[in-house]
Amino acid sequence: MVNGVRSRTARRPRVYTIRIILLVLALVLVRAVAAVEMLGDITVEPTMVKGPPTAPVTIVEFSDYQ
Amino acid sequence: MLKEYAGRVRLIFKDLPLPSHDLARPAHEAARCAGALGRYWPYHDKLFANQPKFERADLLRYGGEVGLPRETFAACLDARRFAPEVEADVEQARAIGVRGTPTFVVNGRVVAGALPVEDFRTVIDEALKDKP
Repeated sequence: MVNGVRSRTARRPRVYTIRIILLVLALVLVRAVAAVEMLGDITVEPTMVKGPPTAPVTIVEFSDYQ
Repeated sequence: MLKEYAGRVRLIFKDLPLPSHDLARPAHEAARCAGALGRYWPYHDKLFANQPKFERADLLRYGGEVGLPRETFAACLDARRFAPEVEADVEQARAIGVRGTPTFVVNGRVVAGALPVEDFRTVIDEALKDKP
């Protein structure tokens, strides 16, 4: 009995650790998806673009003429 | 600098006239009118070279200097034909938390403020390294 109780309490911290790791991974994933969606919302006016769509680097410039 | 990275970098320009700059919005609308007439980048360069002289007469004069048909260009500007598009860009900037100008988003990485050319080159090189 005593042993059983001990082993249960000993297992708990590990369960919490796994839960925390999963939570952190989920948060990282959500942030990554949010970052992709963030750029997905930016519309592209073809006359206001320089460079080919196949370019590996895309720079979006927000500027004010004044 | 774009020439230096020819074929490897694509630049998307977004309008973000700041509320404190009262002459900026007509200038951004004028540039889009120039774009509709096939002269976006020459007009864009004209505006940066002549800022902040953006009264209506100035905007029309720059149009003439880059070869825009005066009547058509003036009609577009006066009708504020591209006001909704400029506003849409402002809204998109707000939605992703961009407040100041210039702000650059390089493959998803936000670079706020004007950087020295050398630093900007580093940002692009890093982005290229991540995406060979």
